[in-house]
Amino acid sequence: MTERWNIPLMLAPALIIIVGLFLGGLALGLVGSFGYMPFIGREEFNLDAYRSILSSEGFYRSFLLTFHIAFTSTVIASAIALGAALALRRSFYGRTFISFLFQINLTVPHLVGAVGILYLFSQSGFFARLAYEFELISKPSEFPAMIYDPLAIGIILQYVWKEVPFIGLILLANMQTIGKDYEAAARSLGASRWQSFRHVLLPLLTPGLLAAAMIVFAFTFGAYEIPALLGQNYPAALPVLAYQSFTHVDLHARPEAFAMTMIIALLSAAMIMGYAYLSRRHVRT
Amino acid sequence: MAPGKNGQGLPTLVWFSLALLVTWLILPLLPLAVWSVSRSWYFPDLLPSAYSARAWTYVFSPTSDILPALGRTALIALGATFLSALVGLPAGRALGLYQFRGKAIVELLILAPTIVPGIAVALGLHVVFLKLGLAGTAGGVVIVHLIPTLPYMVLVMAGIFSNYNPDAEAQARSLGAGYFQTFYYVTLPAILPGLLIGSLFAFLVSWSQYILTLLIGSGRVVTLPLLLFNFASAGRNDITGAISIIYILPGILLLFLGARHLTGRNRTLENLKQI
Amino acid sequence: MTDVTLEKLTKSYPGADRPAVDNISIDIGSGSLTALLGPSASGKSTVLKMIAGLLSPSSGDILFDGRSVLRQPPDKRDAVLVFQEHLLFPYMTVAENIGFGLKMRRRPKDEISSAVDGMMELMQLDGLAARKPNQLSGGQQQRVALARALVLRPKLLLLDEPFSSLDANLRVEMQGLLRTLHAEFDTTMLFVTHDQEEAVALADSIALLLDGKLRQHDTPDGFYARPQDRSVATFFGAKNFIEGQRQAGIFDCAFGQIRLPDNAPVGGHTLTFRPENVKLVSEAGGINSFPAIIKSIQFLGSQTRLQLTSSDIRFEALVSPFSAASLQSGQQVMVQLPPEVLWLVP
Repeated sequence: MTERWNIPLMLAPALIIIVGLFLGGLALGLVGSFGYMPFIGREEFNLDAYRSILSSEGFYRSFLLTFHIAFTSTVIASAIALGAALALRRSFYGRTFISFLFQINLTVPHLVGAVGILYLFSQSGFFARLAYEFELISKPSEFPAMIYDPLAIGIILQYVWKEVPFIGLILLANMQTIGKDYEAAARSLGASRWQSFRHVLLPLLTPGLLAAAMIVFAFTFGAYEIPALLGQNYPAALPVLAYQSFTHVDLHARPEAFAMTMIIALLSAAMIMGYAYLSRRHVRT
Repeated sequence: MAPGKNGQGLPTLVWFSLALLVTWLILPLLPLAVWSVSRSWYFPDLLPSAYSARAWTYVFSPTSDILPALGRTALIALGATFLSALVGLPAGRALGLYQFRGKAIVELLILAPTIVPGIAVALGLHVVFLKLGLAGTAGGVVIVHLIPTLPYMVLVMAGIFSNYNPDAEAQARSLGAGYFQTFYYVTLPAILPGLLIGSLFAFLVSWSQYILTLLIGSGRVVTLPLLLFNFASAGRNDITGAISIIYILPGILLLFLGARHLTGRNRTLENLKQI
Repeated sequence: MTDVTLEKLTKSYPGADRPAVDNISIDIGSGSLTALLGPSASGKSTVLKMIAGLLSPSSGDILFDGRSVLRQPPDKRDAVLVFQEHLLFPYMTVAENIGFGLKMRRRPKDEISSAVDGMMELMQLDGLAARKPNQLSGGQQQRVALARALVLRPKLLLLDEPFSSLDANLRVEMQGLLRTLHAEFDTTMLFVTHDQEEAVALADSIALLLDGKLRQHDTPDGFYARPQDRSVATFFGAKNFIEGQRQAGIFDCAFGQIRLPDNAPVGGHTLTFRPENVKLVSEAGGINSFPAIIKSIQFLGSQTRLQLTSSDIRFEALVSPFSAASLQSGQQVMVQLPPEVLWLVP
């Protein structure tokens, strides 16, 4: 059945929705960041919002905090995921069971994980109680703050918790595609176990690992509910700050909210480009 | 390979680390279950000093807004899934079966919403939805949920159609089947398993949305995650625990159904980021 | 050069109904070019991987120059395996691929680059040093894979179906190259193939594996002249198997009293001879000659195949098109089987 002529027809509804909602939303956010909001009767067009946030210390602190959260959790999750994937691809007793448990939180929403982390790591949480039990602390406030803390440890813990299986399963799927023969060839050519990992498997995995890391980075950089629940008020993560500015009673704060989300979008756009480049290169090799 | 390192079995240390990791992955879910049946659980008790079904009674009581929120969340997710399937199926077919000019751009465009954080899009859309009278309505929330669910559906369907041979349809047509007969008797059975898995995950993607619902629903379309957030912020740990358990059930169920499909297809997996 | 001995080598996989490699004992002489021949799933690649150290045997032993190497990991064995799919590392250039093994051995950079240059010249890969594997033709990839192994000057080179992915012309060229390399490098070479013609054309000895068992280890012509049993003979293209009784130097069968060669094995009950060794003669009375009727004639180009029957026993002959020119289907001819082309199998 030749239906080439109606390829545009088949794509049109999806593209209309994505262009309309997604690109439209981004475009409105962009003009909004320039102060142009005709729907609420503001028709100016300037860079005031960017000027304003780029000269406020609060924005920089939020940006740095958000970058710290996204970067740290991505790196830690990637490293743990790589180790876990290397172990999980081998055959051992109990592998099916452990593999199942490994992916169990994949479908658990972030928010639930955040609540769980809250109950484990807050100063009256399970680990604080355990510390009390072993007489390491005598009252909750002596337990190191990991929730609402300046280093965002709780937030990072939550992201690592959630992203390790995600990256790990992508790596496992990649390893399955690559197979074990490249490593076997390397071993036969005289590479030790470590060398065949370092010089053969790791380079083969790198595009997939980087692509997964980029997705995770973009997500953690722009996610609202986790820092909103587990983070401190000042400095707040960038998406939280943007939401606060957006819902501020003073409508003048809105362009700043838009400007902040544009910065988030710009960063994730860079990640998409990187991802597209890597996945294409991955296909070609 | 040298004896003892024959690729079968795992060194004890590695096995132990793996077990530790898996424990850590499950650990945060445990206090939720315990909280949901606890009556009093104060510092420094490791386990509750008294248990009760209070939280669960509250969840199922007609006066609480939890069951309506559950229904609302499910209906919104069903709506978004249905629309995504309807629109995503033909688009996935075009992308999976054919090479055409501009395909890379189309793919990038469809991939982009899965990576760009929702807040960057929803802030801009808010005022339009307000103007159109869609803000604060369940319909508006369904529409905005298409942003994460539709790309997901398109990519899953594209993956399925890339392993699909359309010649079977031509064969059916030449044997006298009409357009809709061909779809119903030939195409649909071939893609049904993929369509189901894709739909289940699209459902879950919508089910998990927080910020899109909060912004476009203007706080008036109260879904489970919004309730969960509120109860958690208010420190009602027992009810939070109970809601959490209800909230994760579809996902866990899905995992039992679809674990097999998760590991194989890369794209499917990458889109789980939306959950 | 290494003398390789396999002693009762066995590999069983859990859940399989029979071992993939079943109790193989063989001695592969130092400096030889040996083919491990067998159909797919005959266990030949498994043997190769065990020798390379990439798979551990279930039982039995592998000895290099009389010493067991089972405890040596693959990187310490001095036996390099060249995989069927080449497996060039895709992110490395040709030069980096060839230099890989030396780099793993932490040789100095200048030593590596001069060894790589020499190898590239020998393998006619000049000018390709900076290419990536996906920019090479199939034949070039094959050369790089060989160069990557040979640059290490291994005592034992193992090749798994080295030419199966190449087209026919290229395969002949690469076979020639392999023979040249074997003469040039002091290396024992063991290659796996499913192609009986390739084994015969290349190897100085052939080990035939069927169903994981070693059936015969012999020179190439041995498989034609002295097959161990019917399945070995069939694998090498024998078509004619005639049942009968052996009495001293005579085989009593439907063709009459057939005289056997002196070295015919004692236990045989089945006479076998190759189609190309059947002679057409003009008159009766010679040794082992008898009449036969032509059932069909098939022109094959350089040869003509005749399907014959004698006393209702069918057999096949390959003759030159010239001598078959005047023959017709249904015609009676005199056939002779010289004793020296006859062989008995159980």
